[in-house]
Amino acid sequence: MAATDIVGIAVTTIILGSIYGLVAIGMTLIYGTLRILDMSQGSMVMVGSFVGWGILVVAGLNPVIAIAAAFVATFILGALTQLVSVQPLMKRRNAIDFEMVTFITTFAVAMILTNVALELLGPQQRNVTPVISGGVNIYHGVNLPYQSMAMAIVSITMMAGLGIFLARTRWGMAIRAVAQDLDAARLMGVPVGKLYPLTMGLASALAGVAGVFLGGLYFAYPQAGDLPLLEALIVVIFGGLGSLPGTVYAAYAIGLIQATAEVLVGTTWSLPILYGVILFVLIIRPYGLLGKPSEARL
Amino acid sequence: MSQPMLQVAGLRAGYAEASVIRGLDLEVGAGEVVVLIGPNGHGKTTLLRAISGIIRPTAGQVLLGGQDVTGRPAERIAVLGLVHVPQGDGLFAEMTVAENLLMGAFPASSWRSRRKELAGIYERFPVVAARAAQRARTLSGGERRLVALGRALMRPSRIMLIDEPSLGLAPVAIDTVYEAIAELKASGATIVLVEENFTHIGGIADAVHVLETGTIVASGPYAELASDPAIVQTYLGSL
Repeated sequence: MAATDIVGIAVTTIILGSIYGLVAIGMTLIYGTLRILDMSQGSMVMVGSFVGWGILVVAGLNPVIAIAAAFVATFILGALTQLVSVQPLMKRRNAIDFEMVTFITTFAVAMILTNVALELLGPQQRNVTPVISGGVNIYHGVNLPYQSMAMAIVSITMMAGLGIFLARTRWGMAIRAVAQDLDAARLMGVPVGKLYPLTMGLASALAGVAGVFLGGLYFAYPQAGDLPLLEALIVVIFGGLGSLPGTVYAAYAIGLIQATAEVLVGTTWSLPILYGVILFVLIIRPYGLLGKPSEARL
Repeated sequence: MSQPMLQVAGLRAGYAEASVIRGLDLEVGAGEVVVLIGPNGHGKTTLLRAISGIIRPTAGQVLLGGQDVTGRPAERIAVLGLVHVPQGDGLFAEMTVAENLLMGAFPASSWRSRRKELAGIYERFPVVAARAAQRARTLSGGERRLVALGRALMRPSRIMLIDEPSLGLAPVAIDTVYEAIAELKASGATIVLVEENFTHIGGIADAVHVLETGTIVASGPYAELASDPAIVQTYLGSL
């Protein structure tokens, strides 16, 4: 393996891992807190990429505004999704198959959002201006586009920000408390009725920001969230459902496997190799890298 | 007696179709320590959970300082000044001891003074201070219980419900926990405490109620009940 290969693999791993992490971490946050697999997370990526397109291309404004707007829009949409598709079921959560029902109700929201986007904006793929254009040759022919660099930096910053929010702030600690012992958290006075929409809004906002970048890499279109949703599901299950560190490790592990396969055996084989490894690891560790049989709780 | 701190009238509560608490009345005056004694599975924990709002009573009333809180969710009742130390401590296992304590001050009114309160808890329980940075799940049973009590003291309360503080602890640890509860009593706290028997409550109980099959079957001052042969025979523990 040549030195350029190693640098190429490292760069691709960081880029892929960061974006996988940003899309998937919200899903883990929601699973850890609410015990649901939120199938609307892909739609938040789609909405984020359309917001990016609207702000960057249609309005011609600057990327910071695009990221902020995507964050706010998907935060609100995510909180509403919780109120519409999950909150009405909360009181009966012990009497029903809560995980399965909310899997379907959030999927229903995703389908509605996709079709509303199709109706309002049409099926065509829109080019989203890269947040930053150009790139830099970092090592003998290994080119690093600024867009990818910005994506990695923003993703890592947001994941770190989430970590600090959960570790240090009053509401962040409350989210962890609810994830670990719901009744005890209520006895502390934590208003779970407000906390759940806040959590889903926050998670959705991270996916929305990822959407601005993914829109720049690919396109903004109504189904733009489908693949990210599938990838996020794989990352969270590979990392261990409900484990935030597990999700981050899994995101970079998957990025590394994919990058290595791409560089060493070519793009055609990268996905079969990636899924082969995932299959193998999950058979050995069915709860994922950091998952526990009892489910890790944030 | 002025307005009682807690009044429970005709309370019924349970799970699904089964009523565990069947028409229970209880009054606790300010500064009083009331102990409920009863065998396992007769509704002691369910009663506390219904009072604090973790489960919704199906009938009856709960008044906190004269204010009707029946059927309100636990998070609302908590901010009105009811503190409930649940069975098994209810600690957040993956959070540190310090974080667990801070959660005790979650309501906005107490969050502002959390640092001061935290320092106070550390001073009161040096064992807890020594474990501040450890995750709660790494603690011994006795340490966990002290953290749970410390957390209950992180915000001002009008009444504390304490569910079987001796459960699962070694005798030495039980002594430490009951010393802490005796200090709370001395500082004027209003407490409803649940235990299986008379063993540990001698120094602290003002009134004792015996709870069987969801209702109170005997009540009286501690000295009176503890000398009633029929009751002592059933709930002797080791006096």
